Order: sequence, then structure tokens, then C-alpha cells
Amino acid sequence: MSDTWTNRLSEYLDGELPESERATLEAHLRACADCRATLEQLRRVVARAQALDDTPPTTDLWPAIARHVGVVSLDARRARRRLSFTVPQLAAAAVALTLLSAGSAWLLLRRPAGARPSQSTTTPSPILTNVGTYEANPRYAAAVASLERVLAQGRSRLDTATVRVIEKNLGIIDRAIRDAQSALAADPANSYLNLHLAQEMRRKLELLRQAAALAGART
Amino acid sequence: MELTTPGVATLRRDLDQATRDAETADVALAASGDGRAFERLYRSHVARIHSLAQRMTGEDHADDLTQDVFVRAWSKLSTFRGEAAFGTWLHRLAVNVILARRTTLGTERGRYDDSENVLDGVASRPHTAELSLDFEAAIERLPDGARQVFVLHDIEGYRHEEIADLLGIVPGTSKSQLHHARMALRRHLE
Ligand SMILES: [Zn+2]
Repeated sequence: MSDTWTNRLSEYLDGELPESERATLEAHLRACADCRATLEQLRRVVARAQALDDTPPTTDLWPAIARHVGVVSLDARRARRRLSFTVPQLAAAAVALTLLSAGSAWLLLRRPAGARPSQSTTTPSPILTNVGTYEANPRYAAAVASLERVLAQGRSRLDTATVRVIEKNLGIIDRAIRDAQSALAADPANSYLNLHLAQEMRRKLELLRQAAALAGART
Repeated sequence: MELTTPGVATLRRDLDQATRDAETADVALAASGDGRAFERLYRSHVARIHSLAQRMTGEDHADDLTQDVFVRAWSKLSTFRGEAAFGTWLHRLAVNVILARRTTLGTERGRYDDSENVLDGVASRPHTAELSLDFEAAIERLPDGARQVFVLHDIEGYRHEEIADLLGIVPGTSKSQLHHARMALRRHLE
């Protein structure tokens, strides 16, 4: 059933036996049916291991993770922000948003006047950290450039109406980004503007991604 | 005109690249505090991380460890420099988190005995119920050492030297644990 060579079969299978031992084992394999059978089974175990599928958890772990890291859902974020704005912040935001026709930011500004400023929330949302560094972020810039290239190459595959919608939306987003950036230049610490800029930059990325997928998929 | 039109293959390749770039951008966004970008990263990687955790530690701890990995990833995102793919980075982090927990778990589960006798027992138990055990379940039933080496080597593709480093053992031990694990799992192939 098992002999001195059985324990070396995995190493043999993995190509890890020194040359001399390999030759000796191969000679043994020709003579020993047990070792040949075991080797074949080991081969199947390895193949089976490599073919295993990954399965997601049965319950969604995201809500718990989001709670842990302090990320709040968009709706909760809106509700919080509404209570923590100062009048100058709102004024600055309004400058940034004059051209924006829709979006959470715009809705937020139209809250009833009863939403008065109060002290800010006890735990600052990590949503607001370092957002201003995006524009200088080379990875973001590279991703945008790469998607724009795919879009440019696949553009002829899209109908004109689609291209028009994409360009119009990109125009709106680019304008919102520029406005948020210039408003931020005047008020760099403004957390609302930082959040807004981050959202617009992400929107641009998402739109480009969708458009590029569309352009690439139409063959 | 034909000559200047990019081929489908080119577009596909660019699209793959774009998808990778988009993930890289999501990493940058998440590192800047963007929770939704982080959620996208979570969604695309959770199955792999959860399966790894489950195979390494068993069903009872997989959810908990998976959560832990992503919470840790969030706080360490700023250290991700993009030398490796994000998935590779996350996977390394997961292995570290899982292994850091293994001492506690080993004690808790009361099956810290990696002696060869235990392994031989697993290998030669000929009960019919055992024979029909699902392969995944059979992996989970391996003794800790053999299971960890098997998962890391045969499923995750780590080399013995790396495994030895991670587990604090010598490569020779990693090799023999792997062999014992494979020998035990032969009975659960079908
Ligand atoms: Zn033999």
C-alpha cells in the first residue's frame, strides 16, 4: 500500500525532486502500481483544488463593514450634512452649483429654511478626508485618460444620439468640477465643497466607464 | 479606413485595461474617503476573500474574518502603492489577518494537534459518510497545519518558501504537511 517512495510523490508531482531522485522514482513508478495509482489520485486532488469556485457569504457583510469604517449611506449623509452647514458654506456651495441641474447637492440646497446650522456631528465622516487631493491624483487622471481613449476609439460604434447624451453629461460634470474647484480655491477647508467635488469626479469616472463599456461592446 | 479602425481585440484589451484602471481609481477614491468606491471594491472581491477565510478557518469564523479584512483594508488603503494589483494586495492582507487570528481559533476549536497520527486518522477513516463528504468540507476538517498549507499552496498558489515564512515553519514541514493533506483528501474526490 505504501512504501518509501509514497511520501515523495507530492514533491515529484510539483517538480521539486532533485534530478537524481526523480530518475530513481520514475524507475520505481514503472514497477510499482500502488505508487502509480496514488500519484494519479494526488494529481486529481490538485486539479480539484485549482478548480474550486469562490462563493460570496450568504449574508451581506457590507452594512456591518460600512458601520465599522464610519461610511454612511448617501441618504443618512444628506440628513446629517443638512444640520451641520453654516450660512457661508451654503453661500459658497451655491456658487458651485448654479450650473448643476440635478443631483443631491442641488436638492440639499432646496431644503426648507428651518434647517438651521448647528454643531457638527461628533464623528466626522471619513468621506471628507483628503478629497482635495484627487485632482492631483495621477491614478485618477490615468483612469480618466484611459477611459477617454477607449471611448474615442469606439466612438464610431455608438449612434449619434448616444454620443450627444454622453457629451452633454460630461460637459455638465466637467463644469461642476471646475466650479467646485474654483470655489474650493477660495475656501479650501470647506467640507461640503470637498464632498461635492469628490462626487462629481466619481460621477465623471462612472459615466466614462459606462460609455467606454458601451463603445467597446458594440462590435 | 479598414486599417485605421481598431480591431475588436484591441478594444477588448483596452476595455480590460480600463476596467483595471477604474478599479485603481476606485482604490484612490476609497483612500480619499469615498465609501461608495470602497463598496464597489468590496463587492468585486468579497467572494474570494470569504472563500479564503472559510477554507482557512472554517465556516464559523469566515464572516467575522472577512469583515475584519475589509475594515483593515479601509484603514490601510493609503499604504497601497499600486505595485501589485489591488486584488493581490488585498489577498496578502487577508492572509495576514487570518493567520494572526489562528492561534486564538486553534485553541478555541481544540484541534491544534497536527501530529502525524491525527493526519493518518483522517486519511484512513473508511466510513461511508466520510466518502461522500463534500471536498470543501473535507478541507475544513483537515488539521490546522495541513489545511493552511494545502489552501495556501494548492488553492492560492503560494510557494513553500512563502508559506514557511507566513506560518513560521521550515519549507520541509510545509512540503510534508501538503503531502499529508493531499493524501487525506484523495478519499473525498467524488
Ligand atoms: Zn511504490
